[in-house]
Amino acid sequence: MTFHMKSAALAALLGSVAFAAAAEDYTITVWSGGTGDSSNYRIDAISIAAEQMMREAKVRGEDLNITVEGQAWSGWDDFKQAVTLASEAENAPDIIVSGHEDIGPWSEAGLIRPIEDYVYFDTWPLNTIYPNLIQTASFNGQIWGVPQDAEARVMFWSIPALEAIGWSRDEIESLADRVQSGEFTLADMVDTVKQMQDEGVIEPGMGFGPRVSNGPDYWQFYQSFGGEMADPETGKLIVDTAALEGMYGFFADAVEQDVVSQTHLGTEWDVWHQNAAAGNYGAWHGGTWHKAQWQNQFGLEDFFGEVQYTLIPAGNEAGRANSITHPLVYLLSATSTEDESAIAAELIAMASAPDINALHAVKSAHLGISEDETQVPLYAGDEWLAAASERLAPHTNAIPNNSDFGTFWTAMYQGLESSWTGATDPAEAAQNVADSVKKSLGDNVVVR
Amino acid sequence: MSSFADPTLEGARSSRPSRARRAPVSRLGLILMAPAMLLLTLFFFLPVALTGVFAFTDLSTSTGIGRGDYVVTPNLLRELGDRGMSSADLEAVSRASVTVDAETIERARAAGVDGRFLDDIEGDFLGRSFDAPSDFERDLRRLRTAPRRARDLKSAAALFETSVLNQRFTTSDGLSAKLETLAPEVTPAARAQIVDASYTGARFTTENFERLATQKETARLVANTFLYVGATLSLFNVGLGLFLAVVLFYTPKGMSSLFSTLWLLPRITPVVLYAVMWKWFTWEGGFLPILAEQVGLPSFNYMKGSVVTAWATMITLNGFIGASFGLILFSGALRAIPVQQLWASEVDGASRWQQVRRIILPQMRWPILFVTAYQTLSLLSSYEQIWLTTNGGPGRTTTVWALEAFKTALSNYTGNLEYGMGAAMALVLVVVGLVLSLIYLRLFKFNELVGRPKIEI
Repeated sequence: MTFHMKSAALAALLGSVAFAAAAEDYTITVWSGGTGDSSNYRIDAISIAAEQMMREAKVRGEDLNITVEGQAWSGWDDFKQAVTLASEAENAPDIIVSGHEDIGPWSEAGLIRPIEDYVYFDTWPLNTIYPNLIQTASFNGQIWGVPQDAEARVMFWSIPALEAIGWSRDEIESLADRVQSGEFTLADMVDTVKQMQDEGVIEPGMGFGPRVSNGPDYWQFYQSFGGEMADPETGKLIVDTAALEGMYGFFADAVEQDVVSQTHLGTEWDVWHQNAAAGNYGAWHGGTWHKAQWQNQFGLEDFFGEVQYTLIPAGNEAGRANSITHPLVYLLSATSTEDESAIAAELIAMASAPDINALHAVKSAHLGISEDETQVPLYAGDEWLAAASERLAPHTNAIPNNSDFGTFWTAMYQGLESSWTGATDPAEAAQNVADSVKKSLGDNVVVR
Repeated sequence: MSSFADPTLEGARSSRPSRARRAPVSRLGLILMAPAMLLLTLFFFLPVALTGVFAFTDLSTSTGIGRGDYVVTPNLLRELGDRGMSSADLEAVSRASVTVDAETIERARAAGVDGRFLDDIEGDFLGRSFDAPSDFERDLRRLRTAPRRARDLKSAAALFETSVLNQRFTTSDGLSAKLETLAPEVTPAARAQIVDASYTGARFTTENFERLATQKETARLVANTFLYVGATLSLFNVGLGLFLAVVLFYTPKGMSSLFSTLWLLPRITPVVLYAVMWKWFTWEGGFLPILAEQVGLPSFNYMKGSVVTAWATMITLNGFIGASFGLILFSGALRAIPVQQLWASEVDGASRWQQVRRIILPQMRWPILFVTAYQTLSLLSSYEQIWLTTNGGPGRTTTVWALEAFKTALSNYTGNLEYGMGAAMALVLVVVGLVLSLIYLRLFKFNELVGRPKIEI
């Protein structure tokens, strides 16, 4: 007993001595959503920054110890549930890497802290980040997060299949421009892949391979038919019934034409990846980052020789060819201590340096966050990122930061599922969405 | 009940010694019941009561679960403008200014800001005011004694700032008082309106039930739930359970024990493992599709590839779990049938089928009713096997009420967790369950079952 007492006293004494020497020990936890094998630098960049910060502290003559503990979730449902519930239980990680659209609800609920209170956005490296990305990380006049990556969503086309139905090299080359100008529409796409199926180039039901689960991707088709998610001036959400009907009609028609199966939604991701990488689809849509997965995990070798890439085509006269970017952002949890948040914020700023962020961008085939990053040799030498930055990135827009957007999103996807599986016809499904969103959100939404 | 009804009880009451004898027994009974009551309170009454309360709120991710705060944000002011609040009022409320005077410097000193830094601020900026807090912050950063850490400088700067925007107040009075000093020209009525609208927490509402009653999705969910519970119950939990019990009743004992144990496997396998095994069984490249390909039948992902096969898979995989429960109960009940009745019927030349129809089934009425009642309630509230397998798909074709409630409240892609709406859906399930229980108790004549035996044994 005496021994224990003594050792406890000794430990306390040692502790106070250590405190006097100003040793600071921090454990910074990072949780990252939608993060697979290729995107490990979402967390590792924080570790690299921690190394650097400890060195800098040593140079200043301070004793600083930072341990970074990361946890990656491959999906979004579980991750968002975990973050929300952990925050409510005051047990959240210090740094959360999530989609920018979570800033709305999480900031209103007081689950996150505005990062602008902890770092300067007018000093390097945060001052080099693209202003439109900073915009997506802002809400209610405050900057809540630091953009971690960006991307473009893409319509991919099988070059061998296009050649097999008689497209010339020129026609394939000019497809991107024709899509961008609105000349080549979604209806033309269905006709093209139908022709592939009819001629036996592509198997029946495999002409078109859309994303297999919910995602920002489906808002692109809403925009293809002239839909606007929110009023750019007031930020109010807009439910465009005609655009929803057009989009639902397009997918119902694709099912009708048998270019995609009625039960495509809910297919396993791996099955979709295998088909995409093997060229089993005539056209399919995904994101810039998928190229890395197909090459690293699914055996696609000659991407540029086999795959053409364009914006998502326009659906009708009212719409436009478009692409959605969905920047992930580093956020600060409100359950950390002030000191932990200050350290976490500085780590985030350091991890946003062009050379560190380029590791993530190139490995996961995401677009960079700053102009300076395009000058980093690793990034500049990547053919795909250069090509995507030129052809797709300038035409991207992001989904709105609005705490009510989730309600609209859930309703939009339910309508899509019910018209896709034939449970409801497109016009009725669009009307249902408008009714239910109006009922839930009242004056906070405009129905057109 | 009249006091004459039970003379023995009356007698016990009048005789003191016998009451003294009874007291320790009833206290012991209470003590023995206490853990059960505690568990019941913690895991049933309390959750049901909370569900009942949450069901009448708009609790969600953006309101948070605990108490809300009072925050005036630019978005809120715009909304108030849309609702007709004057622009003069809105402008007054959104005013922000920075003043460096003796009072604010003293405030900063009291808050623990570094003295040398404050001396510099006093020397350079005393008596000045700034319209934009960001200008002040930039000027502060030029001071030689400015803190290295951004957080320290910004929190020091904030002490000189007068603004209500984006600040969280825990009480309405706190915000109201701040608004009064900041914008005294705003009328008390307008101020009250701002304070009321600025509350970020959940509010009481009956909207969840209105939405459930009016949305078209409800009808589909109800239909799906009926189909799921009805088909699983009739085909498997009761149908297959009974069939197996009768078949095993006629098989030799060793064999029947073996088969009973085998049928228990789905029940004792951990649910996640069980779901994974079904995926191997029904997915592309799995057992069934490969078998189908060999015999020339359509081969695809049966779990998710078509609406009909998705339903069939979902009902079968749930049914296999439930069938074992019926099997055990029915087997027990079958053994209680006096075997002499079967011997007698055989003497009379009855076939097996006649024995089942005329002797066994009539005596199985209560076990069948019990299994039906019990399993209806557990199927109504179960969603985990569906969630792990079809996940309500393809599309939303196999989504049942309990799964939708779970997804609405706790797990969906957009992270928009609507706890209030989910609780309303769960409350509907609780009410349906309670009503069904009452009906079943009447059908069982529960009072008779637990009543005084007609004869003393």
